Amino acid sequence: MNRKNALLFVAILLIGGLATLQYLRRSYEYKSNQFLMDTLVTITVHGKDETQLKQAVTEAYTEMHRIADLADGFPQPGTAAYNSSDVCRINQQAGKQPVRVDRDTIEMLLLAKKYNRLSDGAFDVTIGPVMELWGFGGKNPHVPPADKLREALKLVDSGNLEVNETEQTAFLRKTGMKLDLGAMAKGYATEKALQVIKKHGIQKAMIDAGGNIRVLGSNLQGKPWRIGIKDPRKSDGIVAVLPLENSSAVTSGDYYRYFEAGGKRYHHILDPRTGYPATNSMSVTAVTRDAGLADILSTVFFVLSPGNALDLARTMAGVELFLVSADGHIRHTPPLLSRLEVKPGESYRYDQGR
Amino acid sequence: MKAAGTRRLVFLALLVAMATALHVVEGMLSIPLPIPGAKLGLANIITLLTLYLYGFRAGLKVSLMRVVLGSLIGGMFLSPGFLLALTGALFSTVVMAVLLKHTSCFSMIGISLAGAVGHNLGQLLAACLLLQSSAIFYYLPVLLIAGIPTGFITGFLLNSLIAHDKKSGILRDFLRA
Amino acid sequence: MTRGDKFLLAGLLLIALLSVAVLYGRLSFFPAKTESVQAVITAQGKLVRKIELVEGVKSSFVIRGLGGPSTVETDGARIRMLEAPCSGQICVKEGWIGHPGQTIVCIPGEILIRIEGTAAVDAVTR
Repeated sequence: MNRKNALLFVAILLIGGLATLQYLRRSYEYKSNQFLMDTLVTITVHGKDETQLKQAVTEAYTEMHRIADLADGFPQPGTAAYNSSDVCRINQQAGKQPVRVDRDTIEMLLLAKKYNRLSDGAFDVTIGPVMELWGFGGKNPHVPPADKLREALKLVDSGNLEVNETEQTAFLRKTGMKLDLGAMAKGYATEKALQVIKKHGIQKAMIDAGGNIRVLGSNLQGKPWRIGIKDPRKSDGIVAVLPLENSSAVTSGDYYRYFEAGGKRYHHILDPRTGYPATNSMSVTAVTRDAGLADILSTVFFVLSPGNALDLARTMAGVELFLVSADGHIRHTPPLLSRLEVKPGESYRYDQGR
Repeated sequence: MKAAGTRRLVFLALLVAMATALHVVEGMLSIPLPIPGAKLGLANIITLLTLYLYGFRAGLKVSLMRVVLGSLIGGMFLSPGFLLALTGALFSTVVMAVLLKHTSCFSMIGISLAGAVGHNLGQLLAACLLLQSSAIFYYLPVLLIAGIPTGFITGFLLNSLIAHDKKSGILRDFLRA
Repeated sequence: MTRGDKFLLAGLLLIALLSVAVLYGRLSFFPAKTESVQAVITAQGKLVRKIELVEGVKSSFVIRGLGGPSTVETDGARIRMLEAPCSGQICVKEGWIGHPGQTIVCIPGEILIRIEGTAAVDAVTR
């Protein structure tokens, strides 16, 4: 081989090598959907190794299924699903005896009690008997008679939920009490699933569990994930765009799961203090690092009045809040001002910085 | 014979040095082109001169050496920008060599125009492969238009040089041996 | 400059202008829509339909879900679930969607309608 050919050979080798290098370095996006916890869960992960991505996502779904099974309140007694549900077992033994449960159930119940105290009862997982009266889980939701509602409301009291960490048991003191983890289990499961993905060394991921969003790192373009906040009255609209990194955003709204009776709209987020749907806000978005906490807080802030919700959010480190109040005002915690793109349109009022 | 080979080697080395200098200077000018790492291709002046004086293989050598050296100096070696420059240089060299050897209807202006456009097309193709997206072909018109003035200037400079050489014979001295 | 040069220069300018017209002109015909938006519909995890949402075009079609046939309607850049056999009707109440990242989900039927395109957002919290 003479020198000229050698040069050409080197050039071809160089270009071929570079092309291969770039091919190997390119990033995969792996996206998958599953119907889980009464909603659609979408997991998106980015990374170099496709098999590793798939493995991580599969394990994340397994983790979500595990939490979902623990917290499921709907299976029929006697079935396998009923026996594997900590919530069902606790409910069954209400007023009788403490039940030994999973670590994660203990964790969820402790969180629930903490935020029940912090919110002065605006969040309560012992809402079960009232939820059952409204029938939001079933086929025919309806407005329950006021006297029945009063009776059921007497059973709602997180103070009568005993959680023993050392024994790993939980106990509802009064017969007829019922747990309903609907306002927090999805977020908790989302957070656990994200931790599984993180453990696999993945740096960019997003879990969307029916609008409960948890992101890890940045998106494929290396920028913060762009999360739209749904317009509570226009189904194809967005009221704001929130850039999100290593954080979670969960929204509670009055437009999801509702029925109409006598010209009034009744949705499924009940105020545990009155037993009726909370009417202070159309939509509330809680932003914080942990998806479990964000899920709880979105309900807390939804039930509280906008003023109280904003005051409470301000006292909590690392918690931001965005809301559309019942009278159509867009409000949020001050640090969001520099991050949010608000699109109030014609339907809402937005006075910046308030 | 030996003296001729040495002379050729020295002149080629000088051409590589000049091309590298242009390449580096060009990297310092921040011309707002839509694709990061894309260049105007000023160093094509030297490539075309080498092609004119010494033929295709020498021209290829000079342009490849120039890209490698230039990106080493600029700290861009093996980066995506380097790959863009390499592909651009290869494309323009091949296009200009073919036109120079096989056509007679173009002056240096036409050849360097074709070279500049080839350079930009090559870069775009490389960018396409790198980003795995054909969306950047939207920059094609921009790059085509950007290629026309540089190609024109390059060609004009070379035309003048060759016209000057017709009188003074300075380039023929380069080749004498 | 030789004649060849002039022809080449003119040719290049022409190509440049033409490509400007083709690449950018096509976009400016629809000034309101700088992105292509399509709806991707899956049932039981399988892709059943991909449909481009184009301004001024209406269509409706039937998707077979677990609970029976559901009717999907498109109108320009938006899409909705018109009829569904389920009792909750959550997917029907969801109404029209049309922004990339938005979804309509029918849980009993396991039908998913997702808007894809050069997304303004990666996901929507709701």
